[in-house]
Amino acid sequence: MARGLSTRGEERRAYWALILPAVILYLIVMAFPIVLSVVLSLSNWNGGQLFGGERWQITGFQQYVRLVKDPQFWLALKNNIYIVIVSVFGQLPLGFIFAYLIYRKIVRFGDFWQGVLYMPAIISVIVLGIMWNMIFSSTGLISDLMNKLYANRFTHQVERIFAAGFTVNDEVVARIVAASDPKALTIFTNPVAELKDLLLTYPPDQLAVVKGDLANLLAKKWTPDFLAKQDVAMLPIMFVVLWCWTGMYLILFLASMQKIEGSILEAARIDGAGEGQVMGRVVLPLLSGVMVNAAILCISGSLNSFALIYAMTGGGPARVTQLLSIYMYENAFVGAPNFPLANAIAMAIVVFSIVLIVLTKLAERRWGAKE
Amino acid sequence: MARTARGDAVRRAMGIIGRALSYVVMSLFALMTVAPILWLLMNSVKSTPEYRLNKLSIPRDLAWVNYSGAWEIGEFSKLIGNSFIYTIGATLGIAIFAIMAAFAFAKIRSKATPIIYGSFVMGILLSIQSLMVPIFIEVSQFDRLLGTLFQALHLIKSADAFHLFYNNRFGVLLIYIGSGLPVALYMSTAYVKGIPDALVEAARIDGAGYFWIFRGVILPMCVPIATTVAILNITGLWNEFALINILVSKTELKSIPLGVYRFTGVMMADYGKQFAALVIGMAPMLAFYIVFRKQITKGVSAGAVKG
Repeated sequence: MARGLSTRGEERRAYWALILPAVILYLIVMAFPIVLSVVLSLSNWNGGQLFGGERWQITGFQQYVRLVKDPQFWLALKNNIYIVIVSVFGQLPLGFIFAYLIYRKIVRFGDFWQGVLYMPAIISVIVLGIMWNMIFSSTGLISDLMNKLYANRFTHQVERIFAAGFTVNDEVVARIVAASDPKALTIFTNPVAELKDLLLTYPPDQLAVVKGDLANLLAKKWTPDFLAKQDVAMLPIMFVVLWCWTGMYLILFLASMQKIEGSILEAARIDGAGEGQVMGRVVLPLLSGVMVNAAILCISGSLNSFALIYAMTGGGPARVTQLLSIYMYENAFVGAPNFPLANAIAMAIVVFSIVLIVLTKLAERRWGAKE
Repeated sequence: MARTARGDAVRRAMGIIGRALSYVVMSLFALMTVAPILWLLMNSVKSTPEYRLNKLSIPRDLAWVNYSGAWEIGEFSKLIGNSFIYTIGATLGIAIFAIMAAFAFAKIRSKATPIIYGSFVMGILLSIQSLMVPIFIEVSQFDRLLGTLFQALHLIKSADAFHLFYNNRFGVLLIYIGSGLPVALYMSTAYVKGIPDALVEAARIDGAGYFWIFRGVILPMCVPIATTVAILNITGLWNEFALINILVSKTELKSIPLGVYRFTGVMMADYGKQFAALVIGMAPMLAFYIVFRKQITKGVSAGAVKG
C-alpha cells in the first residue's frame, strides 16, 4: 500500500519533471505572448516599463475601431486573402496532381521531379525574395529583356529606313518619328525639325552609332508600371508563393498516396475507370483528411507570410503589396512605435486564422467524404 | 466488339496525350525552379558592369572578387558561427525536450495530459510570426524586470545594460526551441506511443526509476524520430528571419539571413556582390539538401510542416 503510494508520487514527480521544460517554453513563446497581446491591444501602453513602472491602463477597443476604419488594414487583408487563395486553390491542387502523376507512374523519374520541385522550400526566403525582385523589378531581368526586344525591333526599322545609306531629309526623319515611341518623343517640342538637326550632327559614316543612339533615345521602353497598381502588384507575389511551396504539398500528398492499398486502385481500373476518375473518385476521397490538414496549415501559413514578401517588395511600391504581417511589423518596429495597434493587428491575424480554419473544418463536415 | 476496340484506341491516344502534357507541365515547373537558381550562380561570378550590359550572358571573366566583397559587406564571418549555434542548439533542444515530454504524455498516465498535450497541438496552428510583436515586448520587458531586480539586490550596476533574453543568444535559443516544440512534440508523442508499454513496465518491475528508463530505454529507441525532427527543423532554423530580426540588434549576434537581407532593394547597386551574397545565403542548405534529400523528404511527409 505504502509502496503503491510512493510509486504514484514518483510517477507524478517524473511526469512533471519530464514535461516541465516543454511547458515553460510553451508558456514563454506562445501562451504568455497571446495574453500579453490581448491585454496590450486593449491598453494605452506604448513603451516604457510594463511591470511596475510607468502607469498604463486598459482603454478598451479603440485600437480595433481604428483598425476597422483604416483603409491600409483592409488593403493588407485583401492582399493576404489573395495569398490564401493562391495557396489553397493553387498549391494544393497542383501538388495533388503532381503527386498523382508520380504515384501512378504516369511520369517517370518521380524521385527527380520530387527532388527538384521541393528545392525552393529549403532555400532561405530572404534569398528567394531578393532573387525574384531582381527578376520582376523595373531594373530587373524581365524588364531588361523586354527593353532589348523593343530596341532590337526599333534598330531594324531604322536600318530599313537607312537602307539606301545615311542620308538625312524630312521624309526619313518623319519615318523615324513614326517608328518611335510617342512617350519618348515628348522630349522634343517639334520632333521632326529637332531630330533632323540632331541627325545632321553625325558624320555620314557613323550609321552604327546613330542606330544605337536612336534606339536608346526613341525606342519604346517597357516599364512594369502595372506592378505598382493595387491587386495587379500581387500577381508576381502570388506566382512566387505558388512556386515556393507547391513542392512541399507534392511530397506530403505523395507520401499519403503511397500508403493507399494498391488493390483498391487496381479494382477501379479493372472496372473501367480512367485515370481522371481514379484520381477524383478514389484517391481524392481517401486523402480528404490529409487534404483538410494541409489546407489548415496552408491557411495559417499564408496569413502569416512575412519574410518572403518583406524581402521581395517590403510591402511596396507605395504599400500596394502590404500584408497584415508587414503592416503589424511597421507599426511596431518602423518609426515611432504604436504597440497597441500592432498588437491589435496580431490579434486580428490570429482571429482570421481561427475563422478560416473553422470554416475549413465545417466545409469538411458538410462536403467531405463520409466514412 | 468493334466499338470497344475503337474505345481502347481512343483511350490509348488520350493516355499518350495526357502523358505528354504531364511531362510538359512538370518540366516547365522544374525549369522554373532550376533556372533562376542557375541564373543566381552564374551572375554571382559576373562583374557588375557586365551584368548591367547583359543579364543573361555567360560570364566572360570569373569575378570571384564578388564573393570576398559580399563576405565583407555582409559581415558574414561574424554571422556564420551564430547560424551554427542557433541551428544546432535549437535543433538539439527541440528534439530532447520534445522526446522528454512525449515520454511523459505517452507512457505515464495523468489527468493533465489531455489539456497540456491539447494546448501543444493547438500551438501547431499558431504561426509564431503573428506573435513577433508580443514576443519582442516580452523579452525586452523580462530583461528590464530582471535588471531592476538585480540592481536592487546590488548584483549589477545598471539595469539598462542587462540582457538575458533580448540581444542574447540564450533568448534566441529559447524562442527558437519554443516555436519548434509543438510539431516536434506531436510527432514524438505518436512515435513513443508505438513503443510497447511492456518495455517500460518491465523496467519498472526491475525497480528502474523514470529517469533511468528515459535514458536507458526511451532515448535510444527514439533515435529515428529525433533524426526526423532534427532534419525537419534544421533548414527552417538556418533560414529563420522574422524572429531573429526582432530579437537581436547587435551584428555579433545575427545570423546569415540577416546578413543577406542587407543586400535588398535599391540601396545595393553592386549587383555582382548582391548575387554572391544570395549564393552565400543559399549554398549551405542547398548542400545539406543534396546530401540528405531522402531524409528531408521523409521528414516533411511525416511532419506536415507549415508553409
